[in-house]
Amino acid sequence: MQPPPPPRWLDRLLTWLVAPHLHEEVLGDLHERYHRRTQRLGYAAARRRYLREVLAYCRPSLIRRKPQVYPSPFFLNPDMLRNYFTVAWRTLTKSPTYSLVNLIGLALGMACSLLIGLWIYDELSYDRFLPHHEQIHFVRVNYNFRGGETQTAFATPGPLADVIDRDIPSVAATTILSWPSETLVRVGDKVAKETGQYASVGFFDVFELPAVQGNAKTALANLNQIVISQKMAATYFPEGQAVGKTLQLDNKRVFVVGAVLENLPANSTLQFDWLVNFTVEEKEWQSAWTYNAVMTYLRLRPDASPAQAETAMKGLFRRYATFDNKERVILQPITQLHLWGDYKNGVAVGGQIEYVRLFGSMALFILLIACINFMNLSTARSAMRTKEVGVRKVVGAGRLALMGQFLSESLLMSLLGAVVALGLVWLLLPPFNAIFDKRLALDLADPARWVGLLGLILLTGLLSGSYPALFLSGLRPVRILKSAGWRAGTGPAQFRRALVVFQFALSVFLIVGMLTVGQQMHYLRTKHLGLDRDNVAYVTLEGALNDYEKTEQLRQQLLQTTSVAMATTTAQLPLNIRNTSTDLHWPGQPQKQLVSVATMSVGNDFIKTMGIKLVAGRDFRTNSIADTSCYLVNEAAAKLMGIKEPVGREITFWFGKGPIIGLMKDFHLGSMHQAIQPLVVTFMPPNTQYLLIRPRAGQTPQALADLERLVKQANPNYPFAYHFLDEAYEDLYQREQQVSTLINYAGALAILISCLGLFGLATFTAEQRTKEIGVRKVLGASVASIVALLGGDFLRLVLVAILIASPLAWWAMHYWLADFAYKITIEWWVFALAGVLAVGIALLTVSFQSIRAAVANPVKSLRTE
Amino acid sequence: MRRSDLGEFEEVVLLAVAVLSPGAYSVVIAEELEHETGQTVSTGAVHAALQRLETKGYLTSLLGEATAERGGRRKRLFTVTPLGGRVLSEVQAVRTRLWDRIVPHTVLTWK
Repeated sequence: MQPPPPPRWLDRLLTWLVAPHLHEEVLGDLHERYHRRTQRLGYAAARRRYLREVLAYCRPSLIRRKPQVYPSPFFLNPDMLRNYFTVAWRTLTKSPTYSLVNLIGLALGMACSLLIGLWIYDELSYDRFLPHHEQIHFVRVNYNFRGGETQTAFATPGPLADVIDRDIPSVAATTILSWPSETLVRVGDKVAKETGQYASVGFFDVFELPAVQGNAKTALANLNQIVISQKMAATYFPEGQAVGKTLQLDNKRVFVVGAVLENLPANSTLQFDWLVNFTVEEKEWQSAWTYNAVMTYLRLRPDASPAQAETAMKGLFRRYATFDNKERVILQPITQLHLWGDYKNGVAVGGQIEYVRLFGSMALFILLIACINFMNLSTARSAMRTKEVGVRKVVGAGRLALMGQFLSESLLMSLLGAVVALGLVWLLLPPFNAIFDKRLALDLADPARWVGLLGLILLTGLLSGSYPALFLSGLRPVRILKSAGWRAGTGPAQFRRALVVFQFALSVFLIVGMLTVGQQMHYLRTKHLGLDRDNVAYVTLEGALNDYEKTEQLRQQLLQTTSVAMATTTAQLPLNIRNTSTDLHWPGQPQKQLVSVATMSVGNDFIKTMGIKLVAGRDFRTNSIADTSCYLVNEAAAKLMGIKEPVGREITFWFGKGPIIGLMKDFHLGSMHQAIQPLVVTFMPPNTQYLLIRPRAGQTPQALADLERLVKQANPNYPFAYHFLDEAYEDLYQREQQVSTLINYAGALAILISCLGLFGLATFTAEQRTKEIGVRKVLGASVASIVALLGGDFLRLVLVAILIASPLAWWAMHYWLADFAYKITIEWWVFALAGVLAVGIALLTVSFQSIRAAVANPVKSLRTE
Repeated sequence: MRRSDLGEFEEVVLLAVAVLSPGAYSVVIAEELEHETGQTVSTGAVHAALQRLETKGYLTSLLGEATAERGGRRKRLFTVTPLGGRVLSEVQAVRTRLWDRIVPHTVLTWK
């Protein structure tokens, strides 16, 4: 009977352990001995002994490998590294077209990601320059009106800060700030508007901003002193010492410069050029609990946690305010203030961070497309390079050495690409900064940038070189050298197709994005707002014009000119009504529940000038004192109150009980992200901020000239400046405009890079099939049929890409549009158009090469073998 | 001759090769030694010793025929080189000289 063989795993262990040239004798001896033992001692004993026998072979003299006659050097040997790059350089220069296509694609992709990377770096760095920024928090208040959704207010009541300071032990300091305002600054005969804020004394306890001259803290505590920025000091006091000099604000109060602060960096959410003590300009309503009038910041003690502080502040409103809407104070770390501006249900849900993510993924996608180009072209060319790989392997190149070879090629490429990309970035930064309203710089002194750049080069190089390196190095030399290439539809050809599909899917996605965002932007620009914003110019009422009599006199003068059709005054621009109030009461209102409504004060002729439709009732009568206790409401407000026929009904608002005299048709109060809110308009001509005029048709230049003349005459101390209402409207959609611009460029870039890749592939296919085309032509194929043959392949891929991309694009765009209360619907033709565009572009790219191949003389291609 | 060149086990293995020549290979050597000493001797130890002796030049080897019980693998057959033979006889001479000088009385005390 044949005994069972010795344990296999032990043999396998030995094969792995013992030097290969000894395998035969060692295993032979073991087996023979085993065999003899089974005969002599029996199976079990032989098997037991076998293990000990095997262990006896585990000794260095048997494990040590026989030195090779021609040793292959370590794949990271310096000589090998030099060789990789020499060979890489030769390969690149050997086929300049491919290299150029590759290089352009990579450089564009990298430039794009570098630019966006700079932008993201800047966005994420907001407010991190502040000393102790991790302790500084911005204070918001969550309200719950009428049991609806929780709303989060950006502004807080004036007295809140003091109460927090007094009652919450974990808070080290608090400060309140007024909204930044552009105010006229006068020093001698230098006059200009500068942005500044009024801040409470705690400001410099919260923000330890360094002063260049003077003591900022004592200066702010002093009511007749002002703190200014270095920039302002340089403009107004170029001689040097600014502290101790005087300047006049708003042509009224004179302040002594108490301190000069370092300029605030661009990545600061605080932006001011001067600071004055809050009490100097404090208004009565700013110290009331019922108005969200100021911005509040606080600094926690180093050991305190924001969550604890929030809990401690829970009862503040109930204790001090007379009403209860379940207000809760919430804290937002100042480093998140810029990125997380949108609150929903009392929790930060997004804001600028969404754009950071969006832009980041776009940069990544474009880089990916560029890398795919590289992969595609190198796998396509791999058919030619398989011979090279085969020969290299036969003369002893290891797999690692081959991988090193291919990776160094792609690294060299990405290094070259990075150099070109840096040049591109340097060229493109100024326009980029202009579009995105940034001050980015290619600061190469910063080591973080270098690390980023190096990371990008490595990432790109490894990503784009990975497939050729892994695939080509794994080929078996015998197979390569025996047969030329491989069957279509297997291995790299399949992979290449997948990559082309992916590339074009991304392109189609971006085209759909471009079209939809563009459409929405067009919709925003052209939608009728319910008021007429075209051709309306406005000036700010300041200086002498703060006087109501004078303003009215100016308005009358303007109306008497032939060029101005209508004029009115308002407290806010009617395109962006941001004031809200909870003061509205009406008969039949549910008890103890406040409602929040938008509100605005206007002067004479408001309805007429703005072209707002009145559903019922009338506008305020010119200069009628009786009408100051009357109100105009919009349809949303009427609906909120549940009144069907509001005209004539009495409500209680700021000026007490009064009738509604007119019902306005709804018009947009702000950006189209929000639905139209209820609005109460009050008649209060002395309380207005802007003078709006509507020139007669075709007389705008004359009207502006008249406006300038009359305003200067009425208010000689202030520089004249006017704006158009539609400019202010465009400003509302600055972010959307940026996204639109970005997606346009990104889409164009993606398509361009994809086409470069496709062009390269088409060239390659045409070259590879030269013989086939020659034979076909000789046998009578027409040029058209050959072009169709070559193009058809690519066309199929593009069609698959469209099928994949369309639903994804629809979903993404749906998500983006969900942020708008008023939006377009995504229509099917957008996808059709995107598809047609992609197909068209692909055909155009491919057909150039196909036609060239098809019209070539077959004699040429068939003659050489 | 440098005596330290030849370890005790090596010497025994070398002798066994001389004894079993021309059919000396590790399995039979190991079994022969087991038989002679009464202790288990692993082929691995013998193999290593043979390797050392070969590098020292006391043995030459060639691959022999394959057998079924070896799983079709060939065996490596060893023969003693003239140098090996000389070393062996020198070792033996040293031993004999020393033996001869032992006083008979001393030997008796061991018994």
